[in-house]
Amino acid sequence: MNSPRSASGASTSRARPQWPFDAGSTQPRSWNPVALAQAWFRQWWQARLPLQDSITLGQRNVYILPTRAGFMLAATLAVLLVGAINYQLNLGYLLTFLLAGCAVVGMHVCHATLRGLTMHLIAPEPQFVGASAVIAISLQSERKSVRYGIGLAVLGTDHWSWTDVPAQGSATVHVAFQPERRGLHRVPTLTAETHFPLGTFRVWTIWRPAAQVLVYPRPEPHPPPLPAGEPRSGDATSSVPHASGEYDGVRAYRRGDPLKLVVWKKAAKADELISRDAESMQRLELWLDQAATGSAHTEHQLSRLCAWVLQADKLGLDYGLRLSATTIPPSHGEAHKRRCLEALALN
Amino acid sequence: MLKHLRNLPRDGRDTLFLLAVIAWVVVPQLERLPLWCSLLTGCVLVWRGVLAWHGRPLPSRWWLLALALLTLGATLWSHRTVLGRDAGVTLIVALLALKTLELRAKRDAFVVFFLSFFTMLTNFFFSQSLLTAAAMLLALLGLLTALVNAHMPVGKPPLLQAARLAGGMALLGAPIMVVLFLLFPRMAPLWGIPSDAMAGRSGLSGSMQVGSIASLALDDRIALRVRFEGTAPAQSALYFRGPVLSVFDGREWRVSTANLTPRPRTPANLQLLGAPLRYEVTLEPNNRPWLLLLEAAGQKPELAGFQSFMTNDLQWLLDRPVTDLVRYRAQSHPQFRHGPLSATPSLQEFVELPRGSNPRTVALAAQLRSDPARAGAPNSELVRAVLEMLRTGGYRYTLEPGVFGLHTADEFWFDRKEGFCEHIASSFVILMRALGIPARVVTGYQGGELNAVDNFWVVRQSDAHAWAEVWLPEQGWVRVDPTGAVAPGRTGSLQRLLPPQGAVAAALSSVSPAMAVNLRAMWEAVNNGWNQWILNYTQSKQLNLLRDIGFESPSWEDLSYVLIGIVVLVTLCAAAWTLWEKSRIDPWLRLLHAASARLAKAGVPSTPSTPPRQLAQALLRARGQADPAVPAIRDWLLRLEAQRYAPGHGARAGLVTLQREFKQLNWPK
Repeated sequence: MNSPRSASGASTSRARPQWPFDAGSTQPRSWNPVALAQAWFRQWWQARLPLQDSITLGQRNVYILPTRAGFMLAATLAVLLVGAINYQLNLGYLLTFLLAGCAVVGMHVCHATLRGLTMHLIAPEPQFVGASAVIAISLQSERKSVRYGIGLAVLGTDHWSWTDVPAQGSATVHVAFQPERRGLHRVPTLTAETHFPLGTFRVWTIWRPAAQVLVYPRPEPHPPPLPAGEPRSGDATSSVPHASGEYDGVRAYRRGDPLKLVVWKKAAKADELISRDAESMQRLELWLDQAATGSAHTEHQLSRLCAWVLQADKLGLDYGLRLSATTIPPSHGEAHKRRCLEALALN
Repeated sequence: MLKHLRNLPRDGRDTLFLLAVIAWVVVPQLERLPLWCSLLTGCVLVWRGVLAWHGRPLPSRWWLLALALLTLGATLWSHRTVLGRDAGVTLIVALLALKTLELRAKRDAFVVFFLSFFTMLTNFFFSQSLLTAAAMLLALLGLLTALVNAHMPVGKPPLLQAARLAGGMALLGAPIMVVLFLLFPRMAPLWGIPSDAMAGRSGLSGSMQVGSIASLALDDRIALRVRFEGTAPAQSALYFRGPVLSVFDGREWRVSTANLTPRPRTPANLQLLGAPLRYEVTLEPNNRPWLLLLEAAGQKPELAGFQSFMTNDLQWLLDRPVTDLVRYRAQSHPQFRHGPLSATPSLQEFVELPRGSNPRTVALAAQLRSDPARAGAPNSELVRAVLEMLRTGGYRYTLEPGVFGLHTADEFWFDRKEGFCEHIASSFVILMRALGIPARVVTGYQGGELNAVDNFWVVRQSDAHAWAEVWLPEQGWVRVDPTGAVAPGRTGSLQRLLPPQGAVAAALSSVSPAMAVNLRAMWEAVNNGWNQWILNYTQSKQLNLLRDIGFESPSWEDLSYVLIGIVVLVTLCAAAWTLWEKSRIDPWLRLLHAASARLAKAGVPSTPSTPPRQLAQALLRARGQADPAVPAIRDWLLRLEAQRYAPGHGARAGLVTLQREFKQLNWPK
């Protein structure tokens, strides 16, 4: 099994549009009627492709066109033929025809590289806006010979991940893309391509996976400190919130305190170890409230909440999330974090 | 060193391999290129190799521009043009080498590949031998390997793997090549061939400056091959007639221009006697507009693509030079008589000698004439006397006669007394003319040897020969071979003066002369097969092929039809094969997929790998028991499962039934 190489990074940059179906850009850049028609055709073509998480390539969904090198080879063959005719070189004929024969065989080999290949999408992990979401694709081949040089990419980008698929085996390819908006998105349309063996033909396919990827808001890079804890509801002893603006339930380190309770940031400043005060923790609750983010813009609010959720989770605190539509009671742990982030993504 | 080679990064290794292939393509050209071009190519390839070896960056574009301009200038300087074949070859080779210095993008690599293909073709301008073909086949495989390797982007695949793939492609491409080669209509050159197309090949020439055949006598290349129908005549009777030289200016023998025009009537009273000899000649290209036929051929040889005619002196000429291997069938009569039977004024030109040339020979002639013993003797008697003189006068045959002075015949008869056929024939004819006997020099090939492997007679350039013809009353022109009088071994027996050999051949023939001869015979038979089947595959042979297939009167268009027909047939076969391959999917699986597709339309989720039982459960969940269609489908699905997994219930018949039921079932919408 070949160790797959994954694309080094994805970008949202638009590659040059290429006829007929391979540009992801649906935004016509000019008002040129031809370009508009092409864009429309492309959109129409892609829209009629079925959404599926696994695809077996056959005659119907594998396309083939000569490349620029293919046209160069055709011109070379023409000149060789004229040379053979003009100088009456029978060996020249042989050379020309053998080369032409190889080109024809190469065309079939090229098409066969994708034909019969099965691709499965392995559903991607949720991801943050701005980070690369990695899609794993498993390529399976029933053929008794190796399939060489298959590249996968998000349609319209130029970041190819190349792999060979062993005979009657499978290979996994990683393709990355950068989601632009939070929420639940379809995995972008993918394309698989090969130029093997001679580079004179380009064989490709277009695949619209059905899988969806959840995209969390982008965590704010430098968020303000976590909001102050609120008194536990129904607890009268401490109804006044702390004015320091910081969650302040700490005390000096006592032997036996678990490391998890050490507040390292404060410890660094104070030159002694400081632990969270479990009692204080019991008295106060950390609520991450959409209304308390201090920003008017919804996306900014969600971005900050996202950063806070990550920060609170890192500190191992209990925290609750209060959004305009939903409220998640305080808790901690991976499942809780995930729940909060999902709520932020889908809010 | 080897370790470094193994540890080279992929880029370096691939570049070195490509450079090696390019060197292999270019090497056969080096000796024909101008020296500067060979040096430049070699240096650039080595330079590029060193850069790849050490992984250093490529030189800047200014370097390349300067070198390219230099190349252009040097080409102009050495060829006086940048057009034409030789200048073109020089330019292509130099540019190919320079382009390797600019292997930056994929496009550059393709340019190198395609330039290499051109360079391969240019090799064929100079040689189309079996060896060249083998070398270029290897080069083509090398280039394909490099090309395939360049399209294996993952890791560092071993070159052997790419070579195997390339070899497989070439093998699969070979049938296409054969079909195209056999059927692609051969046509005349699309436009005029540059005049230098045949430069550098020698053969018999249209004139004879005494001494000019010396180089030919040492040339072991094959001039023509002959196959006789029936028994072959004796080797000593094989005189292939070439240009007849009747004009002498004291130094050089030339063809009389009066003879070069076609004559409509049967020329020169040619009387053919006895039974004809039928044979087939394969003539190597010699860039001369003449055919070589056994004396004397009265009928037009069967030859496609050329117009041929016979001159007054029995030579067969063509309308254009032979630039390619040609094959023709002919018939000759070893016994014949030609020329006027009684003295005519037209014979006057055959006794002319330049004034003051060869005075001692003229004096010798006068002395022979005035010999009282021969008073009133016929000319034939004088001819016999001169031949007798050659035989007994201490004359010797040699391949190294040295440089002759102004009066070549004088020197031969009186001073050196040695020479080869040219000297002997020329001196003999001059003496004849001085005697007042009409005489002329005939050039051509004499002899040949039988290759026992394929029964072809091989005539080499070293068999080039010059003999004489004298005119005698009532007999016409009579062949006299004075060389035979000097050195009987030169004509009429297998023994010949052997030219110097290469080291290997010399060693081989000293160890086992018979083996050397056999090896050579085998090699030449193979070569002959190559010539007959590959190089001599012409339009007439194409049409013969069609005739064999069954076309009544095949034409150019028929070739195209057959070609198109084959393409259509192959396409249909491919389509049929695709269908067959599709049908090879397990019919059971196909039925299951069809069922899950139907259910998917009704909103029952499934994947291609969902087994029938799970599909039935999913259907039940999606539709509930209430749906009247559900039990029948569920039952059908369970029977589908049983058909495969509970065998022993008439499996085949069951599948057919299930297929029929599938169509009848009331599928939910």
